[in-house]
Amino acid sequence: MFYKFIQSVDKHLSFPEAKAHCDVPCGIYDPAPAQIDALTVVRMMDLMTELEQGEEKKRLEYHNTLSRYISVKEEHAEKAKHEIRVIWGDYIKDAHIEKHPELSSLVHKIMQLGSTSRQTSNREHGVAFVDAINQFAEIFWATKNIKTKKANAPYAPGLEMIYPDL
Amino acid sequence: MIKIIKVTGESLSPFYLPGDYILICKCFYFSGSLNRGDIVVFTHSSYGLMIKEIDRINFELQQIHVKGSHPLSVDSSKIGPIAITDILGKVVFHFKNPKHAN
Repeated sequence: MFYKFIQSVDKHLSFPEAKAHCDVPCGIYDPAPAQIDALTVVRMMDLMTELEQGEEKKRLEYHNTLSRYISVKEEHAEKAKHEIRVIWGDYIKDAHIEKHPELSSLVHKIMQLGSTSRQTSNREHGVAFVDAINQFAEIFWATKNIKTKKANAPYAPGLEMIYPDL
Repeated sequence: MIKIIKVTGESLSPFYLPGDYILICKCFYFSGSLNRGDIVVFTHSSYGLMIKEIDRINFELQQIHVKGSHPLSVDSSKIGPIAITDILGKVVFHFKNPKHAN
């Protein structure tokens, strides 16, 4: 009964939360895996388009290859979302959000674009997914006072990416 | 001096579980009653507000070393010693989440 009373007060006043951490806080956070995963999504979309424009669509081999491209696209879109969620949940603190108030909506946008990239084969969605994660990477490195640079990825699809300028 | 805090995470399970509330008090500053085994809430530069059990107290350096009760809990070997001045309070009352009663 007393618990319920405190719980109802908490709903109005939001008591501070103390973490009883259980995982090992290694402190290693980097948006690079998410960036690579998002690039992979676009690469799979390109390969799917190439395959679709080719011939011999009735062959079993065609369906097998297309299935594999779709499977990899699905997997990497979800991996990218996971990587961003981990940084968002474990690394980003209130002070970061105060300094970069666009972070909340950006993370939400990344989640949505990741889902859209899974649902469709539209390259524009995939590129928007990469762009949003690049924006996230730029802010992430800014929180560590590390300068960033733009450069094209040295592999297909060769999109412009944000890298830490170390 | 007295605060109510909500517990998140599992490192003090099965004694303190996510959703539990605790009443903490900074009265140990006056009574000097900070002991091994006390559950304390403190601020950590990287991890924010944390709740842990005192494992050791170094009165000379005015530091405590902490641990959890869960086997996978993070202890002071990972997060370092905690300055006594960073302790927000010692748990004086525990409101258990009835969902965990069974």
